[in-house]
Amino acid sequence: MRQILHNMNPSMKFLAVTVSMLVLAFFFNPWTPLLFFLSVIALQLLFSRINWKLWLLFMLPFFFGAFGYLWTTLVFGADTGGPILWSYGPIEITEQNWAHAWSLSLRVLAFSSLSLLFALTTDPVRFIQSLMQQWKLSPKLAYSLMVSYQFLPVLKAELEQIQQAHRLRGAEIDKHWWNRLLAMRRLFIPLLAGAVRKAERAAFAMEARGFTGEPRTAFYEQLTITRMDYVLTALFGIVLALCCSIEFLDF
Amino acid sequence: MLKSWKLKEIVLMSLFGVVFGIVYLVFLHIGNFWAGIIGPLAYEWMFGIWFIVSIICMYIIRKPGAALLPETLAATIEVMLGNAVGPRLILSGIIQGLGAEAAFAMTRYRHFHVGVLMLAGALAGVFSFVYGYFLSGYAALDPSFVALMFTLRVLSGAIIAGIGGKYIADGLLATGSLRGYAIARTEKNDAGV
Repeated sequence: MRQILHNMNPSMKFLAVTVSMLVLAFFFNPWTPLLFFLSVIALQLLFSRINWKLWLLFMLPFFFGAFGYLWTTLVFGADTGGPILWSYGPIEITEQNWAHAWSLSLRVLAFSSLSLLFALTTDPVRFIQSLMQQWKLSPKLAYSLMVSYQFLPVLKAELEQIQQAHRLRGAEIDKHWWNRLLAMRRLFIPLLAGAVRKAERAAFAMEARGFTGEPRTAFYEQLTITRMDYVLTALFGIVLALCCSIEFLDF
Repeated sequence: MLKSWKLKEIVLMSLFGVVFGIVYLVFLHIGNFWAGIIGPLAYEWMFGIWFIVSIICMYIIRKPGAALLPETLAATIEVMLGNAVGPRLILSGIIQGLGAEAAFAMTRYRHFHVGVLMLAGALAGVFSFVYGYFLSGYAALDPSFVALMFTLRVLSGAIIAGIGGKYIADGLLATGSLRGYAIARTEKNDAGV
């Protein structure tokens, strides 16, 4: 039971998450995003085994972001009428303004929790595989992307090497952050130059092994869309519909 | 779109997508903390950073799609590495890439001097702003504040992505590792334009 979000077909999951976000963007009351935020957490509690500490760590910056939205909308929001709740100097906060501000900042939370649901339960390589098999992503692009993804740790090691080389030759570490920012070029250009050469070598190696980039029918790992995927997608739809229907309730 | 591309160009583009995906992610987190203090305006002046890979790749590869694809890939990498904006980022990546691509398409992929690059950065800003206007609900904000956000974003696109992108690509060209790509072949024809 607590594996099904991890096992869901990544393309379907991606579709469900993206559609939910686009729909949420049309709602301007504070309750829809709040409810959706809570439902996403509930879904994750029920159907996934994610690391909640990691979740909290990723969410933290977005709590800050949501707070930023809240107060800037209160201060800079367009006057949309309604009774004035309270005023301070030139700033007047109306009822509608208040609702808008909460809606925008809760929307940040709803979006980010939904995205984390995708990111924390999806294996990147399976996602690319699924894009290639279900959505006919060009194999040329898919395999290039997987190659590049495998280069990440190599590039990290290379960055350290470049830094050490600089230090060996007596390049001093700048004291001020703006100098360090300008010196980024000194690190970044050699890193990119190395990356370009690696890309070229990888491409030659792929071609040398007979990679033509033709669409294929057989894969190392076959990914299919199962009945469970439809059930889960429907579940997302129902949750979304429930959260949105609150807009039309009178209370 | 990829028919006319050599495999090494595709791998180069993916690799740039990956590298800049990480760069974007770092700045996304910086921007988030920053935004917690001064609100959505925090992103606007640095928005050009998120358009830069389009300009660099197009400037190097010079083929249709070289602005749209790497931007989309960078966004995809951001999502795969795990960030809290999520799959929505891929959509914004596509839209930003389309903005930059539009500028190059308008010049029929023939001119790559600094003016075109700046136009590409600015158009990426315009496209992403229109998208953000709907998705983030800027309509709820004061129009003059929205106008300020828009101006800052377009300027940032033109300067950071346009000029900054050229600066990085030219630095890369000087290392000699770009021999065999369009930028090295056509450099003489385009110089000083």
